[in-house]
Amino acid sequence: MSAPALDPVRTPSGEISAARARRGGKQARTTPARFDTALGWSDRPGPAWALRILLCAIALAIFAAPFLTIFSGAFSTNPSGSSLSFLPHDSTLLNVRVAGERGIWDYFSNSLVIAGGGLLLQLAVSVLAAYALARHRFRGQALILTLFMLTMMLPEEVIAIPLSLVLGHVPVVGLDLKGTVWGVILPLGAWGFSVMLLTEFMKDIPTEIEEAARLDGVGELRMLWQVVLPLCKPALGVAGVLGFIMIWDQYLLPLIAAKDPTDYTVTVALSILRTDPEVGSGVVLAGAVIALVPSLVVYLLLQRSLVTGIAAGATKG
Amino acid sequence: MTATVTTAPRRRGVLTRKALLPWVFLAPGLLLALVFKFVPMGKGIWLSFFEVRPFLGDKWVGLDNYTRVLTDHRFQEAIGNTLLLGIGMSLGAIVVGFFLALLLEGQARSLKIVRTAVFLPVVTATAVVGELWRLMYYPTSDGLMNSALGFLGLGPVPFLDNPDTALWATMVMGIWMTAPYNMVILLAGLAGVDRTLYEAAAMDGVSLRQRLRYVTLPALRPALAIVLTLAAIRGLRVFTEVYVLTGGGPAGSTEVWMTRAYTLGFTRNDIGGASAASVVLLCVTLLLTVTVNYFRKRGDVR
Amino acid sequence: MDMNGVCVPMGDVRRGRRLAATLAAAALLFGTAACGADSDSADSGDPNALEVWTRSNPDSAATYDRVFAAFTKKTGIKIDYQPVVNFDQQLQSRASTKDLPDVMINDTALMGSYQHQGLLKPIDPASISGHGQIDAKTWSSTVGLDGRHYGIPYSRQAMTLMVRKDWREKLGLPQPKTWQDMLTLAKAFATRDPDGDGKKDTYGMVVPGSAQNGYVAWWGASYLWQGGAKIIEPDGKGGYRPVMDSAAAVRTVSWMKDNLFCGDKNVVQPGALTAVTSTATNFQDGNAGMNLTGPYNIVTFDGTLGKDKFEVLPAPAGPAGSDALAEGENVYFGAKTGKDKQEKALAAFLVSPEGQKLAMTGKNQPVVRIPVNTTLDAAKVHDDPRWSVVQKAYREASEQFPNAPDLAPIKQDTADSLNALFTYCGSDVGAGLQELDDTLAGDLKDQDLMP
Repeated sequence: MSAPALDPVRTPSGEISAARARRGGKQARTTPARFDTALGWSDRPGPAWALRILLCAIALAIFAAPFLTIFSGAFSTNPSGSSLSFLPHDSTLLNVRVAGERGIWDYFSNSLVIAGGGLLLQLAVSVLAAYALARHRFRGQALILTLFMLTMMLPEEVIAIPLSLVLGHVPVVGLDLKGTVWGVILPLGAWGFSVMLLTEFMKDIPTEIEEAARLDGVGELRMLWQVVLPLCKPALGVAGVLGFIMIWDQYLLPLIAAKDPTDYTVTVALSILRTDPEVGSGVVLAGAVIALVPSLVVYLLLQRSLVTGIAAGATKG
Repeated sequence: MTATVTTAPRRRGVLTRKALLPWVFLAPGLLLALVFKFVPMGKGIWLSFFEVRPFLGDKWVGLDNYTRVLTDHRFQEAIGNTLLLGIGMSLGAIVVGFFLALLLEGQARSLKIVRTAVFLPVVTATAVVGELWRLMYYPTSDGLMNSALGFLGLGPVPFLDNPDTALWATMVMGIWMTAPYNMVILLAGLAGVDRTLYEAAAMDGVSLRQRLRYVTLPALRPALAIVLTLAAIRGLRVFTEVYVLTGGGPAGSTEVWMTRAYTLGFTRNDIGGASAASVVLLCVTLLLTVTVNYFRKRGDVR
Repeated sequence: MDMNGVCVPMGDVRRGRRLAATLAAAALLFGTAACGADSDSADSGDPNALEVWTRSNPDSAATYDRVFAAFTKKTGIKIDYQPVVNFDQQLQSRASTKDLPDVMINDTALMGSYQHQGLLKPIDPASISGHGQIDAKTWSSTVGLDGRHYGIPYSRQAMTLMVRKDWREKLGLPQPKTWQDMLTLAKAFATRDPDGDGKKDTYGMVVPGSAQNGYVAWWGASYLWQGGAKIIEPDGKGGYRPVMDSAAAVRTVSWMKDNLFCGDKNVVQPGALTAVTSTATNFQDGNAGMNLTGPYNIVTFDGTLGKDKFEVLPAPAGPAGSDALAEGENVYFGAKTGKDKQEKALAAFLVSPEGQKLAMTGKNQPVVRIPVNTTLDAAKVHDDPRWSVVQKAYREASEQFPNAPDLAPIKQDTADSLNALFTYCGSDVGAGLQELDDTLAGDLKDQDLMP
C-alpha cells in the first residue's frame, strides 16, 4: 500500500456535501447531511428540524436576550440603573459620543495593538511548545506540561506586585518594560491554556501521516508548518478566539504595566468610567458595547475553523 | 526498502541534535514563562512566609500566615461554598456547553449567527454582566427572572437577597457565563470527528444514541480532557462571579476562598496572609489537576 | 552531513538558520522598543519638584491641575502630578522599592493603615503656615498612635440626609428631625405611591447594606453615633478597646434591624443587603425617597433628578444626638523623601484660602468639599446654600472613625457582623455584638493596641 498523500482523501459523498456546504446550507440535502454533525440534524423541515429551531430559540433567549438590555441602555438617554428595559427610550448616540470624549477610542486602539501582538506571540509560542510536547518523546515531558498549567493556578492578584517589579526591572537584561506594549504582551506570551489545548489536539494526529512525511524527507519546521498545523485548524481557531478574548479582557496587567493613563486599555478605561460619578450608566454601557465588538468579530472570523470538519478520508481508523 | 537512518552511535545521550530539538521549540515558551510567570510566582509564594511590610521591610513569620488562614473560621466556612460553587459551576458549564455544541454544530449561516449571539456572555466585560444579573435577579415580582417565573406560576424568589438562595443564584450565573466558552472548545472537538465514521455507523444501522456514545464521545476525548482540566484549574479559583454579584454576602453565604483571600489582602492589607491562602489553593488545584490527569491516562490506556 | 556524522536533510539547516535570524530580529525589535520608552516623569532628583499622587478620575484631576499650576506659579516649585487609579497597589509597589511619592492626598481613614506601614512622615502643625485657620477638632483627626500628627487636613465632609422634596410635600409630611420621623416618612414613601404612577414601586430609603469593603459599617456608623454607641474607643493608656457590646450599641442595632431591614416591606430598597453605593442607585433613578450620603452626590442628583426635586437635610437625631459620620481627605508626606521645605510650602498653599477656593470651584469636579480653612464658608464658595447644611453638620454634629489605628480590619469585621445580623431577622443582636467585640479585640491585639 502506498503512502497516502499529504492531503486527506475525500470520498465521493464527502466531496458532494462539502461542495454543497460551500454553496450555503439551505438546499435540501440527502443522506450526507446527517453525517455532518454529531446529532445528525437534517436540513429538511420535519419534527427534528422544528425541534432544533425551538431549542435554538430557547438558547438565544437564555444566552443572548439579556444583552438587549445592555444595548438598549447604551443607546438610551439616562437609563435607569435599577431597572431593565429591552428597548431604548429616547434613543440617542449621546452615550457613545461622551464615551468618545472620555478618550475611549485611544484606549481602544491600545487594546487592539496589545491584543493583536499578544495573540500572535501567544500562538507562535504555543504552537512551538505544543509541537514539541505532542509529537516528540523526551524526558521531562509530563513535567513541562504541568509547569505550563501551573502558570494558570496562582491567582493574578498575588503575582501582581512581584510582576510589577519584574516589569520595572527584567532580570538579567535589566530592561524597564513599563509604559511599553511589550510590558503587557510578553507576560501573556506563555499561556498554559493554549499550550495545553494545542498539545491535546496535536497528539490526536495519527502518526502515520507524520511518518509518511518523514519518509519524504520533510524537516521539523516544514513538518510543523505544512503537515501538523493544517490538521489543527479547529484547535488554532479556538486558541485564537479564546486567546484574543483573554488578552482583550486583561485588567490588572495593563494597569501595572502602565506608566501613565494613556497606556491604559479599554477594560481599564471602563472601570474608570464606572467610578466617575459624572458619567451616567448609559455611557458605561456604551463603553461596554464598544469593548465587546472586537472579540465578537474575532469569533465570527474564526468560526469557520471551528466547524469545518476534517473531510472524510483522513487516515483515521 | 526503508529510508536511511542515522549512522552515528547515539550513546552521547542528551546533546544529540534530535534530543535537543524539542527543547529548542520549547525554549521561547519556557523563557517567557520563567521570567514573567515563575519568577513572580516564586516571589508571591515566598511572601507567604512573611508579614509583608513593603516599606519597613518584610518580617519572617514562617508558617504563621498558614496557621492563621487555616484556623480562621471564615476561611473554613468558605471551603464549603468554594467546593459547591466550583464543582457545580464547572460541571454545569460542561454539560450545558456540550448540549450547546451538539445543538449548534453545522455550517449554515444561520447557525453561525446563533453561535455568535450565544457567545455574547463570554465577550462582555464581567463587571457589566454582573450588574446585568443583579438587575435580572431583582427580588421583587417585577424583576426579570421573577416575571419569567411568574409566567410559569412560580412565586417570586429572593435570589441574592436571601442567604439560602444566593449561592445557587450565583451558580446559575456562573454556568451561563462559562457554558459558551466550553461550547467553543467542544465544537472544535466535534469538528475533528471523522465523518466517515458517521456514515459507517449509519450503514451498520446504529441508533443515534449509540452513535453518540460509541463514535462521538470517544472522538471528543481531547476536547473533553481540556474542558475537564480547565475546570479543575479554574473551578476552585472562583472569584469574579461572586465578587461582581454579591461580594460574598449576604452574611457570607456566597463567600468563597478567593474572596476571603482578596479581602485579606486588599481590605485588611495582609498581603502575607493572602499569599498564604493563594498558595493553599494552588496546592489543592495542583493535586486536583494531577488527579484528573491520572484518571484520564488510565482511561486512555483502556 | 552535520558534525556528528548524521545525515541531515539540507532543508533543516537552512530552516535552523532562518529561525535563529528571526529570533535575533525579534530580540532587536523588542530591545529597541523597550529602550525607546524613557521615563517622562520628573526626576525625583530635582530638589525643586514634588511628586504628588491623588486618587482621582480624569475630571477631578483637572481641578488638581489648576490648583498645582497656581502653586507652581506662586512659588516656582514644580509639581509632577499623578492621578493614580490603582492607588493602593501602586503605592505598595513603590514602597517595596523604598521610593515613596513626596506628597499624597487621600482619605483620612487610611492614615492609620499608612502609619502602621511606616509610609508617613510626622508633621508639626505649627510648621505649616496658616495652620491656625484650621480648627482644633479638625487637627485632632490627624493625630496618630504616638500622639504626633501624620497628616494635614485638606477637605472634610459629613453625611447628610437627601430627601425627595416633591414626594414629601405631596404626602404632606414635615422634614424628618428624629429617627421616628424618618421611619414614618420612609413607610409613607413605600406605601402611599408618592410618584403617582399607581404602582407600588417606590421605596423608603436606599441603603448600601453589603459587607463588601465595609459599606454597611460606613453607612451604619451615623446611626451608631446617633444611638450613643461607638465601635472602639481609646482606653486612656495609648491603646483601644472594643465597645460594640454596650447597651447603646445593642439598642441601636436592634432598632435598625427591626425597623429598617426586618420591619415593613420596602422601607429600604430590595437587595439592600448586597448593594454597594455604585449599585444602590435608586435615589437618582427616582424610586427611593431618602438617601443618607455624602455631599459629593449633590452634583449627581442635580443632574439626574434636578435641583428642585430634592432637599439636603441634617441627619435625623437618634436617642443620643444627631452626629453623622464625618470623613475627608488629608495631605500626607511620604516618609524619608527629604524635601521638607517644598512639601510644607505645598501644604500651606493647599490649606490657604486661595488654594482651597481653587479646589472648590471651576468647571470640573471640586476636590475640596467643606474647606478645612475656617475663614471660608462652603456655601458662599460653592455658591450653593445647600452646602451650609453640610458645613454645619460637619462643624457641629459629626464624628470621624478613629483614624489613628489601622481601621480597615475593624471596619470590615463590623460590616460582616452587621450584615449577618440584618440578614437573619431572628438573630440575637446581643450575642452577635458580643461575638463582634471578641473579634475586634483580636484585631486590636494584632495591632498591639490591646494587652
